[in-house]
Amino acid sequence: MSAYEAIFWFLTVVALSCALGVILSRNPVSSVLFLIATFFAISGHYILMNAQFLAIVNIIVYAGAIMVLFLFVIMLMNLNADTEPQKNKLVQLAGVISGGILFLVVLAALKSSTVKTLEQTATDIGLIKNLGKTLFTKFVLPFEISSVLFLSAMIGAVVLGKKGTPHPNTENS
Amino acid sequence: MKAIIAATILGIVLMFTGLFVKDKKSVVSIAIVAMLALFGVSIWEYSTADPTAPQELFNNLLRIDNYALWFNMLMAGCTFLYVLLMGKRFISVGNHVAEYFTLISFILCGIFLLTSYNNLLMLFIGIEIMSIPQYILAGSDKRNLKSNEASLKYFLMGAFTTGILLMGITLLYGATGSFYITSFTFLQSTTLNPLALAGIIFVLIAFAFKVSAAPMHMWTPDVYDGSPTVFTAFMSTIVKAGAFVGFLRLFHISFGSLSDHWMMLVAIITAATLLVGNVTAVFQQSVKRMLAYSSIAQAGFMLFAVASVNATAWQGMTIYAVAYTVATIGMFAVLVKMKDYTYDGFNGLAKKEPALAFFTTIFLLSLAGIPLTGGFMAKYFVLNAAVQAGGMLWLVIFALLMAAISVYYYFRVIIAMYFKTGDAELNHEVTAADKILLGITCALVILIGVAPQLFIG
Repeated sequence: MSAYEAIFWFLTVVALSCALGVILSRNPVSSVLFLIATFFAISGHYILMNAQFLAIVNIIVYAGAIMVLFLFVIMLMNLNADTEPQKNKLVQLAGVISGGILFLVVLAALKSSTVKTLEQTATDIGLIKNLGKTLFTKFVLPFEISSVLFLSAMIGAVVLGKKGTPHPNTENS
Repeated sequence: MKAIIAATILGIVLMFTGLFVKDKKSVVSIAIVAMLALFGVSIWEYSTADPTAPQELFNNLLRIDNYALWFNMLMAGCTFLYVLLMGKRFISVGNHVAEYFTLISFILCGIFLLTSYNNLLMLFIGIEIMSIPQYILAGSDKRNLKSNEASLKYFLMGAFTTGILLMGITLLYGATGSFYITSFTFLQSTTLNPLALAGIIFVLIAFAFKVSAAPMHMWTPDVYDGSPTVFTAFMSTIVKAGAFVGFLRLFHISFGSLSDHWMMLVAIITAATLLVGNVTAVFQQSVKRMLAYSSIAQAGFMLFAVASVNATAWQGMTIYAVAYTVATIGMFAVLVKMKDYTYDGFNGLAKKEPALAFFTTIFLLSLAGIPLTGGFMAKYFVLNAAVQAGGMLWLVIFALLMAAISVYYYFRVIIAMYFKTGDAELNHEVTAADKILLGITCALVILIGVAPQLFIG
């Protein structure tokens, strides 16, 4: 087993077990911490695939910004076991059955289909220079047009977040 | 492409209007001009385009064909009509009037992407640009708890469905190695990769959610009922039509050759949507909630166009989208004028406002699918497509039965207006301009019913 493979399997085990930890742990704060660990493991995978830029962005944006925000929200909401809503046993059973069926379908699809194997050649596509070039040439349209998406999200933050003066006509408007 | 750029730029212009123009009525007037300009641009783009050769833009990420341009034009026209009819009512929703118009313009940009995408990446961006402004508009009445609930519910469910859509796209990519909808390898092969089939089902579920088809319709009544009525009118008509064209495009162009595999699933979803929409609508007490369920029921008819892979289905989709949109916008334009949204609130409207009651009757007749109105022609086209596709005769008969049920709850409003005594209170005065606009909308409904070929393109 080469060092590459050893690191790959180590990261895989870490990512999967931390992902399981996210859904299995009772405490929401430790769930978030597990999720951060998962992101770090996935970033390790990106580095293995020679995609340094993606790895860094994954850590800065997901592990850094978004997860810290999650942590703040969870701590501010003060979630305890007492405040957790009690779920109906029937609903739980229905969830297990439908989730299990979905799992079976995906598993069967994966098992009986021939998936093209990824060629293990050293590519430089993940490097920031090549990524930037691709973004500004081949994928310039989705890159530019996602600005509309972000702009509407920003407008949403202002429209919903800004304190407005009381409005006289609030019913049936 | 011109229409996409125009929708974006006009959106930004409208946003800055809110900064410089303090008078809200002027903002509304500017927005009406902007939507007229967008309509003009889409007419210009349609008339100058070469009808035989679709434009392939940006490495074939977009493939703008004649159908897309025609549909864009119709949607821009419907939005113009919508803004004319209901623009003034935006003022009573909240303080950010200019921003609401901006978001509507951006939603149109998303719809234009959905009519012309050729790559699953563009499909995803289009769906998101169309959805995110809707979450905001649903919650724009900040002091109303129901509006907050609608926004949060829509956002959480929509975000979850986006995950399902992405998973489907991933599976399709894994099976075919391509994001381009016209270059999927299974378009040529006869054997099907199970991974692709799983992907198709995931994408189907995501689209069924966006068009509010049963059993993914649970969000619809609460969201449509809780959102401010002016925005419900937009969400349940133009946005739904846009989502349907995206649906149709992917499933006919890309998965059309595999229709044996997914046709039955779509047929079952169609039957469930028709049943749930129509039967539940019967038991509603509020007209607004009834219209929410009726929009589920109408989605069931539009699903016929998806289920039957042939050219008539595309025509049927166009005509259904326009007929349903125009009639529903007209109905909502009447509804925003009412003080009481229950059926009793309509009691005696015919005595008080005969013109208003007459227009409402025409809109409801069209929604129910009575001949000579647009709704009849629309239903005829989609059911005709299903008959041509074959193998779905049971579904067509079932749909006719459901259409008969729908007559009951649409006619309840008409009976309340004409045969019950009461004092239907109005929120706003009905001005002469309102009457003229509603009259034009009515004329359009009749025109679609009499001369549908004008709208097929």
